[in-house]
Amino acid sequence: MTGRDGTGLDGNEMVLNMGPQHPSTHGVLRIVLKLDGERVKSTDCIIGYLHRGVEKIAENRTYTQFAPYVDRMDYLAAVSNGLGYCLAVEKLLNAVATPRAQAVRVILTELNRIASHLLWLGTHALDIGAITPLFYTLREREAVLKIFENYCGARLTTHAFRIGGLQYELYEGFEQEVEAFCGQFLPKVDEYEELLSGNRIWRERLRGVGIIDAETCKRYGVTGPVLRAAGVGWDLRKAQPYSGYEQYEFAVPVRTGGDTLDRYFVRLDEMRESVRIIRQAVANIPAGPIMAKVPKVIKPAVGEAYVSIEAPKGELGYFIVSDGSTQPYRLRVRPPSFVNLQALDHMAKGALVADVVAIIGTIDIVLGEVDR
Amino acid sequence: MATVPWEGPIPDLLRERLGALVLETCTYLEQPFAVLTLSAMVPALTVLRDELGFDYLVDITAVDYPKRTPRFELGYVAYSYGRNERVRLKAGVGLGESPQSAVPLFLGANWLEREVLDMFGIEFAGHPDPRRILMPEEWSGYPLRKDYGILAMDNGWVQANLGIESGQ
Amino acid sequence: MKRFLRRFLLLDLLEGLWVTFRHQSPSQIATEQYPSERPAVSERYRGAPRLNVHPETQETLCISCNLCAVACPENLIVVGSVRNPETKRKDLVHFTYDLSRCMFCGLCEDACPVDALELTQDFELASYTREGLIWDRQALEEGPRPTQYRQ
Repeated sequence: MTGRDGTGLDGNEMVLNMGPQHPSTHGVLRIVLKLDGERVKSTDCIIGYLHRGVEKIAENRTYTQFAPYVDRMDYLAAVSNGLGYCLAVEKLLNAVATPRAQAVRVILTELNRIASHLLWLGTHALDIGAITPLFYTLREREAVLKIFENYCGARLTTHAFRIGGLQYELYEGFEQEVEAFCGQFLPKVDEYEELLSGNRIWRERLRGVGIIDAETCKRYGVTGPVLRAAGVGWDLRKAQPYSGYEQYEFAVPVRTGGDTLDRYFVRLDEMRESVRIIRQAVANIPAGPIMAKVPKVIKPAVGEAYVSIEAPKGELGYFIVSDGSTQPYRLRVRPPSFVNLQALDHMAKGALVADVVAIIGTIDIVLGEVDR
Repeated sequence: MATVPWEGPIPDLLRERLGALVLETCTYLEQPFAVLTLSAMVPALTVLRDELGFDYLVDITAVDYPKRTPRFELGYVAYSYGRNERVRLKAGVGLGESPQSAVPLFLGANWLEREVLDMFGIEFAGHPDPRRILMPEEWSGYPLRKDYGILAMDNGWVQANLGIESGQ
Repeated sequence: MKRFLRRFLLLDLLEGLWVTFRHQSPSQIATEQYPSERPAVSERYRGAPRLNVHPETQETLCISCNLCAVACPENLIVVGSVRNPETKRKDLVHFTYDLSRCMFCGLCEDACPVDALELTQDFELASYTREGLIWDRQALEEGPRPTQYRQ
């Protein structure tokens, strides 16, 4: 389709370049928007600005050495990344973490889910124009990060888990600190609702924006809160439990509208459910060793395995091919943000330019994971 | 790899529909996978999607084995929401061969196939948008091939675009 | 009618404003006044590396086993040693730690068999030059000296 002036545009079309330095693309994402007036006709995402070749690095590191690198993909949910990686290597080794390690892993990953959703909520609200929630969500997130810091010595890139279990024993007062966080956090979620859910500006900006139905979600391979807001109550923690999730009672929040507002509600409810899981887990952490019997030098047998977990953003999968040496022959990460971002084109088509910001925010991408 | 034969309705139906194009159906560590000839990949995905309810294409990736012929191994992961089962399909791809694109079946295959093209140089026939995705468009070389060293880079591109001698 | 009143009297917006005002009370302040107040980092914090010396003899605890250098994913530790013919042990000659590439994963301190290498609670690591981030044995034993701007 060539226009009169040979630019590939017709007279009514305008190309707007959004990003890569744009505060509401949540990182270095560049989107070429084709506009008809204020309406988006098509989007073209240009990614790769943060590509660090994580999969190539993996092939040149031992299994133990690679563990800190996974934290740097989805840096807002480093603990989840680490859990997925450890589970995948443990699968290849045919090892299972001890019950105590599993319970601690669940507590920390759920805390991380809360932290990730809190940051999402704050920045998403900021994108829409509500500045205040960001301060409150970051304050609560700080409490989670403090627990991480006390437990493993780092706040963001935690490197909390090791293949076969945990490196660090729980510190004195861990249970009380987590319980105290849960107690003071739940009323805060209601407070966010007070600030936003009833707010008419918030509702008008989000309702009916970026609709994606369940069928389209499946065709795009979209997972996580976006899928659940479209009416599919699918969560890997329920469908294929790992790390002892089958012991805990929790609901999978589902909404049916598939729009931005529903995704907001799904994530809020997920934070509440995470608190439920944490409370159950922290109430009875089994005693025992924190490390399963794994060899000191990790050399899985020749073979391959695909293991995935429910990260805050969706299905995070690790596909590892072992050639029997100390280094992975090939390590593939199936990043939820990367796959979910593809659906942006569908969601943004026909939307207003201002809504594109809301839609990017609601997919909840982390460019470190999209580009790897 | 100590594999166990994979039995059940899924491998049976795959064999019935595709016959000798299905080379192997095994499980390893309770994870089922089928090895196919390359031309049977998209038909197998169609069977999985339309007859067995595998409505979610999880991942597409490749592995480079420089000493084997065919050189690459293309892997697909499919999941069924209804069955709560996950299967892997694998097929060998030679250098210069172009497998059929799965985008008509699963829209999500679009970027995943672009990434395989970007990282391994495997071009998919019938792909709607065959461009590199993570590396710059003009970059030469395919980073995840085994003959591409970890320090290797396209120095020409780096000099032309970044104004530095080398990225190292 | 109720909805109309809610909308007309801006009740939904006032509700949110009330939350904001509740948080004005001084007890809700969470800001830390760094650098005048130094934040307390946790005991396990992984910060600046330190090469421990024996508290009494001031001799290094490092036995030059090179395990930290092997464990490091970034290969940023270089341990230099010579074999002492008398004691048949390796004596540490130099120890370089390139902080500019360190990601504070803690694998080196996990690998150390004698607790010589340790990641400490110091977190002020800024330097004006790249070379300033490559720490030699002396810097590692003495710890970081952040610039003090106030007398």
